[in-house]
Amino acid sequence: MDATATAVKIILIIWHFIISPEFFIPIIFPGLITVLVVLLGLIWFERKLTAKVQLRYGPYYIAKRLGGATQLMADLMRYLQQEFIIPKDADRRVFVIAPIMFFALTMLPIVAIPISSTYAAVHSDLTLLLVPTLATLAPLLVIIIGWSSNNKYSFIGSLREGYMMMSYEVPMFISILAMAVSYNSLSLIQAVQKQTGFAWGLVINPLAAIAFFGALLMTSSRFPFDISEAESEIVVGPYTEYGGIFFIFCLGAPYVKLYVYSLFFSLVFLGGWNPLVTPLTASPIINAVLSGIVLLIKAGIVMSLAVYMRTIFGRFRIDQVLRLGWHKLFAVAVLSVILSLVLVGLGVL
Amino acid sequence: MGYIDAIWMGIKYLFVPRATLKYPEVSMDLCCDYRGMLKWYDDRCISCTMCARICPSGAIKMYKSDTKKYPGINYQRCIFCGFCRDICPVNALEFRPVHDKAYYSLEGQMQKPMEFVKGPPVEEEPKKVKPVFDEKRGLKYDSA
Repeated sequence: MDATATAVKIILIIWHFIISPEFFIPIIFPGLITVLVVLLGLIWFERKLTAKVQLRYGPYYIAKRLGGATQLMADLMRYLQQEFIIPKDADRRVFVIAPIMFFALTMLPIVAIPISSTYAAVHSDLTLLLVPTLATLAPLLVIIIGWSSNNKYSFIGSLREGYMMMSYEVPMFISILAMAVSYNSLSLIQAVQKQTGFAWGLVINPLAAIAFFGALLMTSSRFPFDISEAESEIVVGPYTEYGGIFFIFCLGAPYVKLYVYSLFFSLVFLGGWNPLVTPLTASPIINAVLSGIVLLIKAGIVMSLAVYMRTIFGRFRIDQVLRLGWHKLFAVAVLSVILSLVLVGLGVL
Repeated sequence: MGYIDAIWMGIKYLFVPRATLKYPEVSMDLCCDYRGMLKWYDDRCISCTMCARICPSGAIKMYKSDTKKYPGINYQRCIFCGFCRDICPVNALEFRPVHDKAYYSLEGQMQKPMEFVKGPPVEEEPKKVKPVFDEKRGLKYDSA
């Protein structure tokens, strides 16, 4: 009986550790395990949606009854068995470490995302600024990947990614500044609590939403801004020399960035964890679970919209992208700050 | 703006039915004289060896068994021209409308008369459809 009592105690200790937000958010939900599951589902959904608009079937033969859903597991198995070749003149250590760091750093901002008003891993007043700041670390590694490959096509591809990075970071942070002015705080939990009823961030300040959505498409290399990833001009861009599992890291990392940014978008602009009718007054545990599910559904809607852009747009040239970023998105972002200041000054917010 | 038009066009195309055939279960109906893989009738053959002599790529070879010689085929070399069927005096060679069978080894394609008599291997007949011209969509498939 003593043994069972200590066993129960140990199990309870492990259970409390797993449920605690400092472990649960980065590892289980919306952290590592959810990222991998969402990655599989998102790429499958993109291929099926693109195929339906182009009047064909997408992945079909692998699991016919599931609609080809496990196609990506088959791709993963194939890439795991490939030989990983390091070119002779490449910088060996950086060549191997850079994609791993790229994939890991894109998952880093999830640490600061709160799931419900009481369940967050980082209790800070600055999470609205912390999430995009941590997400800015990742594109630097694309430049390192391109430089360490010792291949002129990789280098050109990574420089293009560098140009794009300059042109979307600035409108993104200015639109976040606009939202911070209208919510009067830099904390994500307070930002969501201010969006009650129908007053979502999208309705309060649609210009900031447009600027942020444009920056979201550019950072995650979705069409029409697909420039660094899959080009017919520069073989695969910065990821040319990679094979095997590193190729999966390099091509999966933009999808992870899309997931993180769409979680952030749904927290700041789409009302976070408030559904339109608010029944979230149940016990705290069910409250947290329901909030998490609502947040994931909203992030899924944003991701589907971003992925749908692939079916209809052709790819922009790099100078058209820079012109779009600096002329149009920058102007829209600055106008959104002025709009927020006007609304706050008039006393509406 | 052009962007909104593009998005609306994409949404409209979501509701148009797909245009591809689900190939191995459904396949196009071939016309009656299609030159596919061959079937050899051993009861009609008179061992004249004309098919082996006229084959332009040397795909048919005669194999000796007791007193007579019988043809075997090598599908690596067959170009499906139809000369052997045209010259056979007793119509012992016939074309079947099967063109897409694959073998796991190169040796499986060199068939002796014992396998040649069985004809091309067909496990199940796919459902046949016929292409029909349609003004709006271009090409539609109706069941044959």
